[in-house]
Amino acid sequence: MAEAVSLPIQSDADIILARQQARALARALGFSTGDLALVATALSELARNIVEHAQRGEIILNQTRQGTRRGLAITARDGGPGIADIGLAMQDGYSTGKSLGLGLPGTKRLMDEFEITSRPGEGTWVKVTKWVR
Amino acid sequence: MQTPILKLGSYLIASLQAELTDTDLLQLQSNLVEQVGRFRASGVILDVTTLDVMDSFATRMLRNIAQAVELRGAAAVIVGIRPEVAFAMVRLGLDLRLSGVHTVLDLEEALALLDQRKKGPAGHG
Amino acid sequence: MNDDTEPADHRPLVQALGITEQEIARRKAFLQFDAEDAAALAGINGLAEKYAEPVIEAFYRHLLSFEETREFFQDPKRLKRVKNLQRAYFLDLTRGEYAQAYIEDRLKTGAIHERIGLPVKSYLGMYNFYLRAVADHLFAAYQDTPERALKAYQALLKLVFLGIGLSIDTYVQRREQLIRAQQDAIRELPTPVLQVRERLLVLPVIGALEPQRARQLTEQLLDSIRATRAKVAIMDITGVPLVDSKVAHHLLQTVSAARLMGAAVIMTGLSPQIAQALVAIGVDLSEVRTTVDLQSGLEEAEALLGYRLVHPGADGQAPS
Repeated sequence: MAEAVSLPIQSDADIILARQQARALARALGFSTGDLALVATALSELARNIVEHAQRGEIILNQTRQGTRRGLAITARDGGPGIADIGLAMQDGYSTGKSLGLGLPGTKRLMDEFEITSRPGEGTWVKVTKWVR
Repeated sequence: MQTPILKLGSYLIASLQAELTDTDLLQLQSNLVEQVGRFRASGVILDVTTLDVMDSFATRMLRNIAQAVELRGAAAVIVGIRPEVAFAMVRLGLDLRLSGVHTVLDLEEALALLDQRKKGPAGHG
Repeated sequence: MNDDTEPADHRPLVQALGITEQEIARRKAFLQFDAEDAAALAGINGLAEKYAEPVIEAFYRHLLSFEETREFFQDPKRLKRVKNLQRAYFLDLTRGEYAQAYIEDRLKTGAIHERIGLPVKSYLGMYNFYLRAVADHLFAAYQDTPERALKAYQALLKLVFLGIGLSIDTYVQRREQLIRAQQDAIRELPTPVLQVRERLLVLPVIGALEPQRARQLTEQLLDSIRATRAKVAIMDITGVPLVDSKVAHHLLQTVSAARLMGAAVIMTGLSPQIAQALVAIGVDLSEVRTTVDLQSGLEEAEALLGYRLVHPGADGQAPS
């Protein structure tokens, strides 16, 4: 199962579907119950960010490898307004609009790896990875 | 999807199902607030036993529901956060958002808590 | 411990035990074993070759006549093997040259006897018999020149004690290896979760907490809270030497997660060092109940639980 799964995100119903897919994929990869919860929560946060700030975007789920390690990579991208100050957004407590401001730094804590690219007017791209342990 | 609300004496029990949408939760809030008023309920139990994820949105909604029913004079108790869900919430920092809300293990505990509150002096909780 | 095959570590034992040339020189100096002694022993080499067989036979007859030592040499293949080793050792003693190879052979012999489980007392008893048997032959052969016999015998004593020291080193090393392996095994053990009262759990955490064990601990604690409906859990870390910042944060997160499940966690047994280290890391200890030892932790737990039972409706019960 090496192909990526691409899921359009537009409404909260899509968030639920994306979560189910991610959970199924993660379970197939052999993640523990605890790690499944972390992955599903991270995905939920990323998908919700898309719905709340960009209205539409996509989530891509990927099996990934690094040496003997297997993992799940979740990429969330949207064509929304983008983030002006990423540093600020990565601080706990930063809040825009309806969110609690806990999304990004918290999501980073849930996963093993975190990358973000975003510019005002150019949308946002976030990729997080968790390794099976 | 309508969340079923059970009446148990002067308490209301709402068993949240997994995969609730924003609309479902807003509807639940409005139903609970209405029923608390109608039945003069003194307690509202929010059962999240079947939820395998509690993200920032769900947490915020639960807090809102708790605050809304408290404004109507009922105590709110969240019941049944699963071990792995609890840990994920803490990692995300969501436990702080629930700091004003009672969270207990199960229905039995929730009932014991609410019964105690009824016996104690008014205004405590 | 019951096979007499060669050790799996294929390094020379002098390396494995860290016995350097300087160390051997130091030991020889301490025993006052010098070139003269070596020469004296070389001088009786011819004699040694003659009495080798009778001494070895008498030696093993002695061993086999005692129940305690007999059992180690029941197997005829093993017996033959050790006899050959003994014969080689025997003749090595009067070779006149006692460098690296000699030392390595002594260590190997010690290791083999240790592996078959021969107790130190038996090993020493064997050496003793052997020395006495040689003394008889030596003094009989040099009746007319006893001072020569004495010189050779004293040289032999020094050399044999050098060998005893090395053999005991191999015994000690194996014991230390065993202890390390057991410590590793203990470290791998999951933390037991004890239900000491209804609604009260105790987790005695022992050994270093590295990330994987910390995760295991969280899982065990939270699952047990659910399974036993615990309202209070005591995490005793008296047996934990250090905690790094990642693990410290993880423990605090575990405490918060337990709170979401309606259980209070009391951490007991924080050493002053750990407490200071945690504060230095920036961990907020005001968020966690701590007591100095398990006993006070139990008292606090009972107050939390008992208070609730005795005064229903009063404020201040276990936080949710």
